[in-house]
Amino acid sequence: MQKLKKPAVVASSLCKEYVIGDVVVEALKDLSFQVNEGEFISIGGPSGAGKTTLLNIIGGLETPTSGSITVFGHDLGARDEDFLATFRCAYIGFVFQSYNLISTLTSLENVAFAMEIAGWPAKRAVKRSQKLLKAVGLSHRADHFPSQLSGGEQQRIAFVRALANDPPLILVDEPTGNLDFKTGLEVVKVLDGLKEKGKTLIVVTHDERITRLSNRTLHMFDGRIVESR
Amino acid sequence: MSKRSFPLKDLFRRKFQTAVTVLSLTISTTTTFFLLFFGDNIGFEVALLTGGKLTTGFSYMFSVILFIVILLDFLIGILVMSFLISLAMSERVRDVGVMTAVGCVTDLVFGYFIMELSIMVFVSCIIGFISGWFLNIASINILNTFGFAISQQPINMWIMPYAFLTFLIVPHLIGTRVIAKALMVKPSQALSTSFSLRTPLKSRFSTPSKFGLGFKVALKTLARRRIATRQAIVCLSLVFALTTVALAGGMIANQTTQSYVVRAIQRNVVLIGNSDIIRRYVYLLSLYSEQRETQPINYSDPQFFISNSLVSRLRLISGIKKVDARIVLETKVYEVPKITVDPESKSYIVVGDSRSSDTFVLGLEPENAVNDWLVMGTTLNKTDIYSAMLGHSLATSILTNPEQQRIKILNEDFGIAGVCQDPLNNGNVVYIPLKALQSISGQTEYNLVLLQLDSSNPSLTLSQIREEINGTALEITELNEVLQKHLSFLNTSWSLVTLAPLFSLVTAVLCLSGYVTLLISIQQRDLAIMRAMGAKLRVVIRIVVVQILIIVLVSGAIGLSIGLLISFFLLPEPVISVASILPIFLWFFAALVFLGVCSLYPTIRTMKKSVIKAISAI
Repeated sequence: MQKLKKPAVVASSLCKEYVIGDVVVEALKDLSFQVNEGEFISIGGPSGAGKTTLLNIIGGLETPTSGSITVFGHDLGARDEDFLATFRCAYIGFVFQSYNLISTLTSLENVAFAMEIAGWPAKRAVKRSQKLLKAVGLSHRADHFPSQLSGGEQQRIAFVRALANDPPLILVDEPTGNLDFKTGLEVVKVLDGLKEKGKTLIVVTHDERITRLSNRTLHMFDGRIVESR
Repeated sequence: MSKRSFPLKDLFRRKFQTAVTVLSLTISTTTTFFLLFFGDNIGFEVALLTGGKLTTGFSYMFSVILFIVILLDFLIGILVMSFLISLAMSERVRDVGVMTAVGCVTDLVFGYFIMELSIMVFVSCIIGFISGWFLNIASINILNTFGFAISQQPINMWIMPYAFLTFLIVPHLIGTRVIAKALMVKPSQALSTSFSLRTPLKSRFSTPSKFGLGFKVALKTLARRRIATRQAIVCLSLVFALTTVALAGGMIANQTTQSYVVRAIQRNVVLIGNSDIIRRYVYLLSLYSEQRETQPINYSDPQFFISNSLVSRLRLISGIKKVDARIVLETKVYEVPKITVDPESKSYIVVGDSRSSDTFVLGLEPENAVNDWLVMGTTLNKTDIYSAMLGHSLATSILTNPEQQRIKILNEDFGIAGVCQDPLNNGNVVYIPLKALQSISGQTEYNLVLLQLDSSNPSLTLSQIREEINGTALEITELNEVLQKHLSFLNTSWSLVTLAPLFSLVTAVLCLSGYVTLLISIQQRDLAIMRAMGAKLRVVIRIVVVQILIIVLVSGAIGLSIGLLISFFLLPEPVISVASILPIFLWFFAALVFLGVCSLYPTIRTMKKSVIKAISAI
């Protein structure tokens, strides 16, 4: 008998609206879905479909206009900023499309910062960061600033930072969108490794290599999930 | 898009940045123009208050300090405005890079940004000028309700148009330089953040791990935004130094001028003489802070004489520190011109003219003088009996060069040993050795005695003195009351002058809060990323506040030290006591607390922004 997996993300009638001037833009329309622990979900769809907005809501970076979103049993609907910060720190590893590394911190410090805010002692955080950077072949770039790294290197640092606290849920936005084929392949390998480790992964992507790797693909269009396979 | 529409649209679309820059510039111009208007009114008021009183030297000190304070305020305004413009325009290097990268010609890009700069500067200057004027009217009305009597002067057309033009031109020059520099940069370089931040290729700066996370990140951020940090520290240090000079200069000048008066009159001094002479002496001494009328008297009238035996008996009273017996008279003092060789042209030149002045002349024994004046040159000595020490007002009114010239009193020539700050007869006095005055006037008897009492038991000493003069026509008068009047007069005058530096401190703090807002707006993306990673609000706020504190404390320490050092050299023989320094530190501490509170508002406001919005903010 297959082992029953707990739900990691449960979205119910999720709506998100933005008001731009006098215009109300509906980014997400009545979205309902569930992602179980250890599942690898890829989300596809055209630009403006609401993929990144959905990822931001799951990550507690934005709150829904209506509907509910529960991540590892925590309802993220009406929470204050401090709760969401603590939640992100404990449960979420976020890899942004534009990497979003802190410009005034070095690669090593960017990783260590994420660990220190999670409560790691500074010395241990630095040691573990060095180890993680070595594992992705970037130990020689430890003292470099984000602006001195290539796109692929920044992407890898962003991955290392997201995984530094060993979060149960990893959210990745277009990980190969800005990379060449070869560097993209390295990212695919990293995602495969995370899948093997049993992490819950939600990846927004157009890359077939990643889609093939995922357990399920949600296709979004105009703020709705139009296909799930 | 036209050359005009792009800058306007760009400014309106970058609402927050534009608002912060214009607000900071407006605060800077408002406060500076306010101080110029206000300083002008105070200057006029001080001139009214001290008109016909004070010695030339003291009036000069007042005008110098007030001029320096207003000049410093103006410099602070220009400096802060230039710094804000430089900071705001440096943030556009990336945009310049984007525009040149997509093919805009350099002239067009330059035109766009100059137009933006001009709009911001012009708007700030106009609003600042008008607000400064209204603030000045409001402040004067408020101060007058507290008992001051400051009158409202019309706009000074000799200063304000030039000040306004300076405020328009200097930021343009600074901003143009920054834009021109940005245009010289290759687009690829301009697009890289390492260029605008001037981050080093290798990170050499590290902080000990025992420091808290907030402190470490704040320190690293400051160290790595080194151009902006250095600019901020230099600018703020200068602002603090100028403010300290304005504030400390005023306070030190107050204490120093008070000390000059105390030294010239001395505490616990009593006069012994005929009532007419005493009344006349007190009148001449009071001219410094009030004006009354008395008739000149005949000082050689025998009824005014004080016998040698009485002076000898007074010397025997143990409670008297000094017995300064004098002959005083009022007569004309003439300038003696000097013929000398001009070292450059080798021809004979005449130094001085043939001016004269009705002067109070005092003959005294230099070694027994109770006074300890501030003297430029040397004081009288008993060996050179034909030397004179002049009051500052007399020296400036009848002499061209006191070092080279001589004076004539009762047909006798005197060399000039020095010039002193003396409130007696508003500085229109000459001190000569007693023997010389006896010789030229033919009067050998004293007509006035000054006694300096020991402060341990003055009432007992006074009663002993009264016993000695009992049965004569002589009277005794204490000078402490006159001294106190002078000191309170000086205090009132300085309190008016000190208002300007106090307002300049407020100006500096308001300008700094503008800087803080800009600092936060520049860093909002990095701060939002920290929040996205799970940093709590209080951690992020701590990072910002620690940065502000480090910058303000470092520049405060540098500025305060430089400012105090400069203030120390503003006046000869300055008096700097704990009492004069403590208020300066207290004012600065209050300013820092105020700044801390001011900086919290933009910080919290920025933190309330959604993380995603802040990350994507341009």
